[in-house]
Formats: sequence, structure tokens, C-alpha cells
Amino acid sequence: MGRSVQDSALFGVSRRTVLKAGAAAAAFATVGAPSILRAQTPAVKIGILQPVTGALAHDGDLGRLGAEMAINEINAAGGLKALGGAKIEMVFGDARSTPEAGTQEVERMQAEGVCAIVGGFASPICLAASQAAARYDLPYLVDVGVSDQIMARGLTNTFRFSPGFGKVTQVALDNLTKINELAGKPAKTVVLVHEDGLFGSGLAKLLQTELPKRGFEILETIAHPTPARDMSNVALRIRSLNPDLVIPSNYYGEFVLLARTMQQQRIKPKGVYAVLGGAASNGRFVKEFPQAAQNVIDCNHWHDPQNPQAQALRKAVEAQGKSFAYNVPLNYSNVLLLADAIERAGSADRKKIIEALNSSTFEGHIMPYGPTKFVNGQNEGATPINTQIQGEDIKVIFPEYFAEAKANFPAT
Amino acid sequence: MTARDLIPIVVLAVLAALLPLVVTSSPVMNFLVFTLIVALGAQGWNILGGFGGQFSFGHAAFFGTGAYVTAILQLRYGVNAWAGLLVAMAAGAAVAWTIGFLSFRSGLRGSYFALVTLAFAEVFRILANAASFTGGAAGLLIKLDVHPANLQFADRAVFYWLVLAFVTGVLLLTRWIQRSRFGAQLVAVRENEDAAKALGVDSLKVKLRAIALSGAVTALSGCLYAQYFLYIDAHIAYGSWISVELLLAPIIGGVGTVFGPVVGALTLHGLGELAKQFAGRIPGIDLIVFGSVLVLAVAFARGGILGLLERLRDRGRGMMTRGAKEVSHAGR
Repeated sequence: MGRSVQDSALFGVSRRTVLKAGAAAAAFATVGAPSILRAQTPAVKIGILQPVTGALAHDGDLGRLGAEMAINEINAAGGLKALGGAKIEMVFGDARSTPEAGTQEVERMQAEGVCAIVGGFASPICLAASQAAARYDLPYLVDVGVSDQIMARGLTNTFRFSPGFGKVTQVALDNLTKINELAGKPAKTVVLVHEDGLFGSGLAKLLQTELPKRGFEILETIAHPTPARDMSNVALRIRSLNPDLVIPSNYYGEFVLLARTMQQQRIKPKGVYAVLGGAASNGRFVKEFPQAAQNVIDCNHWHDPQNPQAQALRKAVEAQGKSFAYNVPLNYSNVLLLADAIERAGSADRKKIIEALNSSTFEGHIMPYGPTKFVNGQNEGATPINTQIQGEDIKVIFPEYFAEAKANFPAT
Repeated sequence: MTARDLIPIVVLAVLAALLPLVVTSSPVMNFLVFTLIVALGAQGWNILGGFGGQFSFGHAAFFGTGAYVTAILQLRYGVNAWAGLLVAMAAGAAVAWTIGFLSFRSGLRGSYFALVTLAFAEVFRILANAASFTGGAAGLLIKLDVHPANLQFADRAVFYWLVLAFVTGVLLLTRWIQRSRFGAQLVAVRENEDAAKALGVDSLKVKLRAIALSGAVTALSGCLYAQYFLYIDAHIAYGSWISVELLLAPIIGGVGTVFGPVVGALTLHGLGELAKQFAGRIPGIDLIVFGSVLVLAVAFARGGILGLLERLRDRGRGMMTRGAKEVSHAGR
């Protein structure tokens, strides 16, 4: 018995019929129902890396929230248009506040086929994760990590939309000088309080050389470890030195502790001026300790307060009962920036995305940076701005172009 | 050492070496490399803590020294990474010997020794954080330059083989210690130092040799960590996390056994990773598993996983012999 005979007898369909049916189906799909075809476009996977367990969990949560909201908005608005309305699928990785875990998650994301990664938060995580991603030419967008080393390695896959340490401190010093001049130079003496880690001691060293050049006198530099459980001695020292200005640089817990201890001991300098302050521009601090938080000035990442999209985002976050901090708009903007690059690249191809990021002049973000311009991976327009906690709100006070309120300095 | 001592080690090493030919997944390779680096450091801890009974809570001091020495040599003096690796081991041994000399000479034992090592590691952490030649708090970034001469490999499998070779080497070393006169003296010191002394064992010398060996092996693991992740700072290199990792693995696997540290590291990290795969979206689930395994191991498997297996085997044999006895009783 011939095999072909048996086959056609079994199925009762000839090859020609199958072809006909197939052609008809294809014609129906393209002509009659384009929407069905569009719905079948495979989703584009984006890796979101944040430390949601461990010491940095609070920041990681906020970062994830920002990225998620951007992805949801893009998908709700019809996905990536250049890719036939492809939806963005988030592949989330918990960096567990350590560089090894960050690297492991990058490997997993690579295995799951993401086309780019956004996040990292802390500098050590960003350093390790972007390097792991570089092995695969996988575009990596640093969300916060301020260490200047991140961009100094010449990795072609790594981009930073936000400002680095050098830029932030430069702007912070310039703005401090200007704010002080505008107020009639009330502040002359300074006490620095810093944590002894990466950014605290780096910043302290820089301020020690730069502040005297600008006419400030540093009375003392006080270092403390992270985590620190008690700030009484630091506060007592500040009281005895009685400086015009206290410049703290530390993480959330220590900053809150310091501010509360100073409040308890009724230490009221003319100003508290934080640089990349851990809590000074965090909604949770304002909500939980409004009195201790009053009038604290910060020079930090912050969204453009005039931008209606940013205002809507902040409302949406607060409506969820969550506190707002810079992690949200930064990750939100980074995802939008990446989506724009994918749109312009016209595909999820990594090399093309990297090219598109390099030539990016994206304006649709909500940070006060202007159109993006990447030079060696660093966004040149990125800059921090000054905020002050006034009443129950965090208000932008400087530069004047963005300001929502006048600086309350010297604090009354 | 007899062939029977060596065969299990060689067989396991060969099997493990074949793994990259079967498993090509990068996440698995990356996981194995990190776990083996931890296992290597844990083997170092086991020489002193397991065989010598001197529980150190501060092996980070040796791990960090290894990592910093190799990084500083490459960055500041342009020394080749392979040469740096050897110097790092020597530096680890020297630091360990010094800490050992200071504390054993003063007769510190048990929890006092543990606290002193903990304090040393913290001092190193603070110094590394403050000094400028260690990069201070900004840490050190080894230049990414993928080339075998720089101890950086394009293929993760090569690094895996390298770490595996070191782990196997230390397995053999540990087996040798177990069978040697030095090992016997070390165990004697662990069981009863005064009795060992009375038998003519120079306990200070034995303990110093053990801590120097232990320091060299742990420094090697720190050096490999630095070469693999290419970034270290004071918290990573000298932080208490690594001290805890290095003592947990042997405790879970089996203190004072040859395979204990490797089994412990693979179990702890493997379970954590599996939990992450299955419980996916719940952050921290692997840490919960980590904690639970620890509690269970401490509560039910006093001699670690290997100890538990041995007890089960003995019980099986005991039942058989009891059965045989009953038969013979019945026959009488």
C-alpha cells in the first residue's frame, strides 16, 4: 500500500486545498482584520532592575513604581507604534541591594531576552550590572547611581540620563552661593555631617576644598557610619559650634535621625542644606516628621514642577498612598526615553537602540533637563535642582525659572 | 593518602567540569561561579574553624585583603593579574598569621577569638573606607579588559573551570590535612587543647599554620571575586556579609568535613535561587528560604548535611545489624 494514498485517505484533504485555505486566511488577516494581526505583534521585553529587598528596599520600590507607571501608560496608549503597536513587557529583577545579585538578575534578564535594562539605583549595583550587560551589548540605562566611575569606563552600552556626582556637587555649590547672596549673605560658618560611605565622604572632601573658596568657613567635619543609631553626640557638637549652616550628606535613616535629634535639642541653624540628601526631598519624611523636616533645603534629582505630566504622575503616586521621591520620576523618564529610542530605532535590536540613544534628543520626559544629549553615555543637560520642605510640601525654590516658592532662608 | 581518599574528589571534579558542556545557560553559569567563589572562601574558613575548632567571625579580613591586594596591584602598579593572585594569597596568609599570632599568643579561645576576628575585620573595613590608596569609599574598579592574561574571560565557562580547579585543589589540600600528622594535631587541639599540649603538640604553631593556610585560601576567593565582578569597595570586601557567608556554608554542609563547605554553599545558594525561580514575583522569598534552611540545619542536622547523611546511613546499618542480631537470637 502506497503511503501517499493512505495519507490522503486519512485526512481527506489534498495539498492544494490546504494551500488555498492558507492563502485565503492570509488575505483575510491582512485585508479584513488588520487589528488581529497587530495584536499578535510580540511584546518587547524591558528589564527593570531595582533593589526591593535589603537595605535599599524603600528606594527600589519607588523606582519600580516609576518604571511600571511609564510602561502601563505606554501600553495603554497603544504600545510602540513603530513596532506595530507592540506592548512593553516588564521583566523585573530584584537586585537585593548587592552587586552580585544585580549581576545575577542581568544574566537572567539576558536569558529571558530583554532588549534593554533600566535601573540599578545604588552606584555599586549600577557598576556591576552595567558591566554584566556590556558582555551582551545590552543597553543599560542607569536610573540614579551618581558615582562618576560609572560613566568613566567607556562602556558603549551604558547611559545615564541623570546627573553624576561631579555635576551635582558643582551645581549644589553654585546654587548655595547664589541663594546665600540673594538673602544678603547670612551664612558664613558651616558644619559638615556626612556618612562615611561612597558619596558622603566624597562629598565632604570636595566641600572642604570648595566652600572656603566661596567665602564659607568650615567649623568642623563630622563623619558617622551607616547605619547609625544615635545622633545625640553629633547634635551636641553642632550645638556647641553653633554654625549658620549645617550641610548633611547621608542616607534616609540617618538624615531623619539627625533632623529629629536637632529638633529635640532645639538646635536651629539658619539653614540645613543637604546635597543629595537621603530624606530631604522624600515625601515620607515630610509626612512622618513634618516639624523636623521644616525648611530643610536639598539639592537633588527632582522633576520639573511646571510639567503637567509630572504633576499628574505625582498625584497618581500619592493617590496610591505612596510617598513621592525622585526615584519615581527618574525611572518613569528613563523608561519613556528608552521607549522613544526603540521607536526611533524601529526595532528591538540592541545595536540600533544604542545608536538611537546616542543620537537622542528626547523632550518627552519630566525632568528639568531639556532635550537629551548623550556624550559618552552621559546626558549633558542633566542637572539637580533645589527644593525646600515648606509646610506639608516639597517645593522647588531654585533655579528661579522652575521655582514654585521663594526660599525660606535664613529659616524663620 | 590512599586512592580511596582521592577518587571521590576526582570524580566529582570531572563531573563538575563537564557541566558547562551540558548547561549553556548564562544565569546558571554565573550562579555557579559565584557559589563556587563562596565555597572556596568557606573551605578556607573550614580549615581553621572546622578542623582547628577556632571559630572566626571575621574571615572578611582575609577575603577583603585578597580582593584589595589584587585590585591595588593591578591598578596602581600595573602588576599582572595572575601574579597579583599569588601575591594576594601571600598577603592573606600574612594578615591571617599576624591576627593569629596576636590573638593565640594572648590565649584567646572560643567566643573571645570570634570577637577579636570580628573586630579585626571591622577595623580593616573602616581603614579601607578611609584610606585613599584603597580608593576610599568610592572603591576600586578593575579595568574591563577581557583577555586571559588579565584573568578576565569572554566565556563564563572558563572562569567557572578556573574556580572549580581551585576548589578541587583545596578539596585535595583538605583531604591531605585530614590524613596528615598536622591534621591530627589540629583536631587534637580542637578536641582538647590542654590534652594536646600534654601530648607534646605545639598548639600555637599548629594553630598559626592553620590560620595562615585558611587566610591564603580565603584571600584567593576574595581575589577571584574581585576579578569576576571587577568592582570592590570597603563594604563588599570587608563587610560582615562575607564573614557570615563563609561560616554558614560549612556549618550547613558539615563542619570539619572535606566536602562540607562546598555542599553547604551549593545547598544554601541553590535553594535560594530555586525559590526565586518558583516564587518569582515575591521579593525576598529566597532570603526566607535561606533563613529556614539555616534554622532547620541548626535544629536537626547538628553535623550539617553531611553529618545528617552519615547518621541516616549509620541508622540504616544499625537497623540491619540489629535485624541480624535478632535473627541470631532467634536461632539460639
